[in-house]
Amino acid sequence: MSASPPAPDAAGDERRFFLPDFCAAPVVLAIVLMAALLGSVLALGRQSGHGAFWTDLARTSAFLLWTGLLCAGVLCKARPRLARMPLRRAMAWALALLTGTVVVVSEVVYLFGRTWQDRLGIDSGLFPTGHWSFVLPNTCIALIVGALALRYFYVTGQWRRSVELEAKARLRALQARIRPHFLFNSMNAIASLTRSDPQRAEEAIEDLADLLRVSLSDARAQITLREELEVARTYQRIAQLRLGERLRVCWDVAELPARAIMPSLLLQPLLENAIGHGIEPLPEGGTVTVRGRVDGPTMVIEVTNPVAPSGRPSRPGNRMALDNIRQRLELAFPRRSSVNVQEGAGTYRVQLRFPLTMVETPDDDGQ
Amino acid sequence: MPKTPAPGPDERMRALIVDDEAPARQRLRRLLEEIGEVTVVGEAVNGADALARCAELDPDVVLLDIRMPGMDGIETARHLNTLEEPPALIFTTAYDEYALDAFESQAVGYLMKPVRREKLERSLQRAARVAGTQLVRVAERAGLGKRRAQICVRLGDHLKLVPVEDVFFFEADQKYVTLRHRGGSDIIDDSLRTLEDEFAPDFVRIHRNSLVALRHVRAIERGVDGRHLVRFKECDDVLPVSRRHAPGALRQFRSGR
Repeated sequence: MSASPPAPDAAGDERRFFLPDFCAAPVVLAIVLMAALLGSVLALGRQSGHGAFWTDLARTSAFLLWTGLLCAGVLCKARPRLARMPLRRAMAWALALLTGTVVVVSEVVYLFGRTWQDRLGIDSGLFPTGHWSFVLPNTCIALIVGALALRYFYVTGQWRRSVELEAKARLRALQARIRPHFLFNSMNAIASLTRSDPQRAEEAIEDLADLLRVSLSDARAQITLREELEVARTYQRIAQLRLGERLRVCWDVAELPARAIMPSLLLQPLLENAIGHGIEPLPEGGTVTVRGRVDGPTMVIEVTNPVAPSGRPSRPGNRMALDNIRQRLELAFPRRSSVNVQEGAGTYRVQLRFPLTMVETPDDDGQ
Repeated sequence: MPKTPAPGPDERMRALIVDDEAPARQRLRRLLEEIGEVTVVGEAVNGADALARCAELDPDVVLLDIRMPGMDGIETARHLNTLEEPPALIFTTAYDEYALDAFESQAVGYLMKPVRREKLERSLQRAARVAGTQLVRVAERAGLGKRRAQICVRLGDHLKLVPVEDVFFFEADQKYVTLRHRGGSDIIDDSLRTLEDEFAPDFVRIHRNSLVALRHVRAIERGVDGRHLVRFKECDDVLPVSRRHAPGALRQFRSGR
């Protein structure tokens, strides 16, 4: 599994597709208005004489209205298919469909006008006289305007998508918070320690407070690796209170630069998963390994845990946490991060890869 | 039949604490000691341990954590119910949205961790046996899976657990159901009907009185009289397939290959 691109699913594709739904009433209304406006602009631009202006306006607007609505209809029908294509091909097809529609409408208008005029023998000026002088410019205009329109839809689509992603990331950040099960079990452990070992109880409350503070802070914030490791270790200390010798964590992170920066709460949820889904179901417990290394310009963090052989389906919480991490990494490093899961032989490993970036101020290295 | 925990002046209630986390056990023990009227006879660290302890110590009440490694609290409770005189049960949990709804709906006693002394006291006064059917419903509603991973066999005062994957077949006679498994055979109280409901589709009914594990079937053969016979991979028993069950059994056996 990798962070990009998400698995194809037809309904989702269509919702995320950059072209709007041209069958929706507001869009149809917008097309009618735009046809009227564009017709006025073109009529004005032609600077025809006083009397010819209104005829010009009428025929241009009528023509644009027809083409606009027909194009909308065609795109509306084609949208589900376009949405399933790769972006470039979808663009090309949309442009071809638009131009094709314009060509067909132009031809129909020309032929209709010729037969009508021939039969009635009047020249109202409403219909084009020359064949190619009508169809060719229309085709060119269709190509240019179509390309511009598609570009516009694409850009607004991208913008909408990034707004959505941002909103989702906020939500995810909320969800990344400490799980209630952990919180209440920890409180129970602390309640137990208050009499038997008040000092450890005190430390545990401090740890829990630190952890809650981090999880309540903005999870979109970037923090240093040192801070992130500290959060994860705090988490481990509390889990240790409850699980005792059943939990062993092996830290192999010396190679990582402490001043590297990363989105907060990446490592702690992984550790939480490893403990919750890996260690807790094992009566004898086990060892979680956290390994970090630098691979050229990339930071690689791996968390490995044993899994119970019973083969029970993994709890949904695990996938949610991974999706969460994946999305937040994607937002922080678009297309330059990955989250990989390896399962097999009684172990479960999650690997994060993302660009290595360092804090700019070198002087806070000391503490 | 609910067992009424009514301690006489000299007779205190005997409690067993089951939780995989040591601090949680310590706290419950201390609270119970403060309450008095209760003697903590032992602690267990997981479901299997709880069964062994119960058989050995015969407690009146068991405080049972729901989330435990291996066998969860609900399954443990179902096995405890196979004891001659099952103890009263109080479940404990830190946070389990679904399980709590299920307990509420089945009116099964539970406590939230960290447990308050007054609530523990009240639960002890009300503690009652929980019927097996209630537990099945709780397990279903809590999404814990109604299927047991093990079958519990009562041997005198001991409880033995047989992993379901080791079971070759169940066979009913007039009174009991015999469980044939890798380690021999044992007698259990469950009815074939409930076993079939619980373990379908891995177990298939081949006769009014037998239920076989597909994974252990070597072949279904046609005998000299035209009746079908089931042979197993790891034991020499041969079971007859009734005419009524033959088509279904053959189909499931073939699709399971």
